[in-house]
Amino acid sequence: MLTCKQVSNALSKEDYEKMPPFKRFFLKLHIKLCIFCGKFNKQVMDSQDMCRCYKEKEELVNTERPKMEEERKAKLRELLASQSIGAQSGQKD
Amino acid sequence: MTLPKPEPKVPVTPPEQWVDLYGDYLYGFAMSRLRNPDAASDCVQDTFLAGIKALDRFDGSRDIKFWLRGIMRNKIVDQIRKSVKENKVDIEAEDEALLESFWFKYSGIATTNPDPWEFNPRKFYDNGEFWKVFEKCIDQVKDPARQAFILRVLEDQTTEEVCKVMDITPNYLWVLLHRARSQLKVSLEQNWINSD
Repeated sequence: MLTCKQVSNALSKEDYEKMPPFKRFFLKLHIKLCIFCGKFNKQVMDSQDMCRCYKEKEELVNTERPKMEEERKAKLRELLASQSIGAQSGQKD
Repeated sequence: MTLPKPEPKVPVTPPEQWVDLYGDYLYGFAMSRLRNPDAASDCVQDTFLAGIKALDRFDGSRDIKFWLRGIMRNKIVDQIRKSVKENKVDIEAEDEALLESFWFKYSGIATTNPDPWEFNPRKFYDNGEFWKVFEKCIDQVKDPARQAFILRVLEDQTTEEVCKVMDITPNYLWVLLHRARSQLKVSLEQNWINSD
């Protein structure tokens, strides 16, 4: 059986979904039964669920995020054109 | 004898077109992580330049957009490292007390009795508006807790890597992540319930 500290440490190191099934089972069992750390660590797991879901949806949210300034884009275009020509001539040499 | 390089499965877009095709995409991600337009633009520029240098290592197994996004992870870490160097992370008195508390030493938790959620966020996971509010709430989390959260949770860096970048101990990283989570919860409760 895991101790409260082991559960907290495991959750602070990685997302519980990435843990091996065996470890996940004991972790969930501990959290269901423990009157000391159960409520707290359940919220940590809920937060991990939420962040995982956010990362899956992030590509959709990204379309409405701020866009790069046109001036900066123009400079960057020039820079990339010069760099990629340099890289190509470097490859030929 | 060197084997001929396999043809990429997806076409390689020439770097001259990257700004128009992926500039805003990458800038959006950089802004959400760094909050600062100058740092975000620098981050995109560094990503593109690193992309050009590493282009011969592009294996074409996925769209170049996602490959560049992968490179940008390191550039975001670099930008946060730079900002942490300028504003060194000091342990606040409140956090120090938590690190020294009995409960933390005994069980690795901050409190045995956290406030329950005022609403069930799971109900809204399919609602695009919820994630927009979620993102605004991440922005409201104060540094360095926000930076720790971005690196550890959103950019998937390991605990060791985040501790190295921010020059903090793993215990303090845990406290910062706890701060970020609780601030995020409070601000989601305020902003989401009020947005109805």
